[in-house]
Amino acid sequence: MVRTESLTKKFGSHVAVNHLTMEVHPGEFFSFLGPNGAGKTTTIKLLTGLLMPTEGRAFIDGKDVQLDPVGAKRVVGYVPDQPFLYEKLTGREFLRFVGGLYELGGIEFEKKAEELMELFGVLDVADLLIEEYSHGMRQKLSFSAAFLHDPKVVIVDEPWVGLDPKSIRFLKGYLKDKTRDGLCVFMSTHTLSIAEEVSDKVGIINSGNLIAMGTVAEIMALEASENFEDVFLQLTARGEEI
Amino acid sequence: MAVHEIASVKNQSKLKVGVVTVFVIALWLGTFFLFYEAFGYMKRFDAGGIGLDLGTVGEVVTIRVISLLFVAVFIMLIFSNVLVALTTLYKSSEVEYLFSSPLRSSELFTARFAECVVFSSWALLFLGSPLILSYGIVYHAPWYFYLVAAIVSGPFLVIPAAVGVTITVVLARVFPKLSRPILIILGAAAVAALFLYMRRSFDVEKLSGEKMLRAILDAMKNTQSPFLPSFWAAQGVLASAKGEIRQSAFYFLLLLSNALMLFEVSLLIASKMYYPGWAALHASPQTRLHPTGKGILGRIDSWLIFLRPRTRSLIVKDIKMFWRDVSQWSQFALFFGLMAVYVANLRATGYYYLDIPIWRNAVSFLNLGATSLILATLTSRFIFPLISLEGKRFWVIGLAPVRKRELLWQKFWLSFVTCISFSLGVMVISNIMLKVEPLLMVLSCATIVMMNFSLSGLAVGLGAVYPNFREDNPAKIVSGLGGTLNFLTSIAYIIAAIGTEAVLFQARALKLIPEDYRFALMVAGVVGFVVVLSAGVTFIPMSLGLKNLERTEF
Repeated sequence: MVRTESLTKKFGSHVAVNHLTMEVHPGEFFSFLGPNGAGKTTTIKLLTGLLMPTEGRAFIDGKDVQLDPVGAKRVVGYVPDQPFLYEKLTGREFLRFVGGLYELGGIEFEKKAEELMELFGVLDVADLLIEEYSHGMRQKLSFSAAFLHDPKVVIVDEPWVGLDPKSIRFLKGYLKDKTRDGLCVFMSTHTLSIAEEVSDKVGIINSGNLIAMGTVAEIMALEASENFEDVFLQLTARGEEI
Repeated sequence: MAVHEIASVKNQSKLKVGVVTVFVIALWLGTFFLFYEAFGYMKRFDAGGIGLDLGTVGEVVTIRVISLLFVAVFIMLIFSNVLVALTTLYKSSEVEYLFSSPLRSSELFTARFAECVVFSSWALLFLGSPLILSYGIVYHAPWYFYLVAAIVSGPFLVIPAAVGVTITVVLARVFPKLSRPILIILGAAAVAALFLYMRRSFDVEKLSGEKMLRAILDAMKNTQSPFLPSFWAAQGVLASAKGEIRQSAFYFLLLLSNALMLFEVSLLIASKMYYPGWAALHASPQTRLHPTGKGILGRIDSWLIFLRPRTRSLIVKDIKMFWRDVSQWSQFALFFGLMAVYVANLRATGYYYLDIPIWRNAVSFLNLGATSLILATLTSRFIFPLISLEGKRFWVIGLAPVRKRELLWQKFWLSFVTCISFSLGVMVISNIMLKVEPLLMVLSCATIVMMNFSLSGLAVGLGAVYPNFREDNPAKIVSGLGGTLNFLTSIAYIIAAIGTEAVLFQARALKLIPEDYRFALMVAGVVGFVVVLSAGVTFIPMSLGLKNLERTEF
């Protein structure tokens, strides 16, 4: 569902993502981990078409993100780490705007938008301008927008920032349930405990290189430790490549 | 920060910097030449030929014109400082951080006040320097005239800054407590008062040649009020041109003392009102709800149901974002106000020129030029920033199955439909008031339609060639390199299009072209040229903009 072939991104002489090759299948919850500046957000932007690769290719549902961007984007929902939204729209208007971009409309759509806002806990503020939303409310609204068009892949970049514990618990459960319905979740996060709890597969990137990939158990087996955080720190300190 | 800002110009494309530098220099030189010729003409002007015994009337008119310019700059600086103060004192995100630091609000205010003075000084520098230089050359002013002009500028800049910033601080303290209907009534009353003042001050009725000059001088006498700082600045500068140092020093000291006093007053008011006003603005309770289906904005979706959902969504979003941003629509309203003043004053136009074909044509084409310039200003100010204003939110559209081409053309059509709805109306109404001949009516309306295409394409296209996704303030986006290039190119296009048409019609008026089929052929030729020029101005920037947008990374 999400596949990269030697995906590379250079900014001048700096290699942000170095020949990344990996695959995430439908129904998998994949966590993409790495220290600050490792290349996680750059990888996500390459997958979503917001950046153009220097070399290599990225595929979403079999479609090349660069050659068939519209086709790839039809099946992707994205939640960025910083939820910059249109401040002068209400939450409801924002969802209607996003729905319009996917050519969704009508009574069924309005009903779905309402359900998603209720699910993510922003229905009470649906008719307030987004400029009055807190960071967490904007994050929840972004999630509502990401699921409007029934995506096959949801890419989330550090989704837990600004969310209260109740919302975090809900979101973990919601995303996990969705993967059982075939949704592919590609999540970048610093919160190792959540990654350990929900992930079917984990990838660790450091200085642009994919240094580990597999199930949590397989990653743990790489180091002589029973603590996932210790394993992560040891791997990223060494910078080993698989 | 200023050093880094200046240094960052080095990182800009050399072509961009070069083109804008050339245009700025050309504009400065053009302004200088205009003033130089005008002052030279007025110095030679002898009113004896038209039966007026006013002595050195050229000098009198020159002094009135300079005073008028100083007044215009003074008023412009007040308005400018009101808006700049709003941004630097209240809307800037770093103010929150600065208030949390051990800094008194008066210290913060003083620093920001200095920024306001510096930001507004470019206008005086750009408009004032060619004026001063040309006047000094024509009237053989001594060397210290230029030094005095520079010295007088200092306190002259501080006074409107103090007035403008104080207005902002007081309004910010008072406005959050006022309800929306009261705000609308106050705004409408202010606009009506300004409209009436301008009509009364510059109402030059049907005039014969003998009465015109005295009427114009009378109309300008308001600018000579001894209570206006602009009068002191003008008198201080003009006195030094005549070698009257003591008088010059008097007006300088008058400016300086008032500048210091007004600054102290604004500081006193700010120390009481700045922080409470800022806190009130940022801690206002939840504002009203905007339920779907209510009000004009709530119904726009249904009114545009004939459009494709994607296009409709983008247009509705742009309209709502614009209409709910006070800093945007208030400036738009100001444009409408100026247009209304312009059109209303046409009623008082004397029609003596109708008998003289050259003047008749000149007035018609000047009217077309004025309407085109308003259109160029509108597209530069409101359309050019549209792509940039997507800014950090571009991920929303970037992730959607929307082609960049669709986005660009949506902005284009939004601009075209919005601008043509009033520019064509202004063109028709003003032509009727000026009793323009039928051929010129048709030609000017057709030209304004073409200009709507071109100026929209230019603004949208260049907005995509030179986007600034880091900036949320449309005024700052426009004042960048791309915005300046867009405006200058718009002016060049307008001059080329209208100039070609005007030359043809003036040649006919001078009987250089016979009024037969040959004239009709030439009109067709000129129209063809304008069509081709307009097509180029529309599609080349759009094409370049699309290419750049498709290459841009977010």
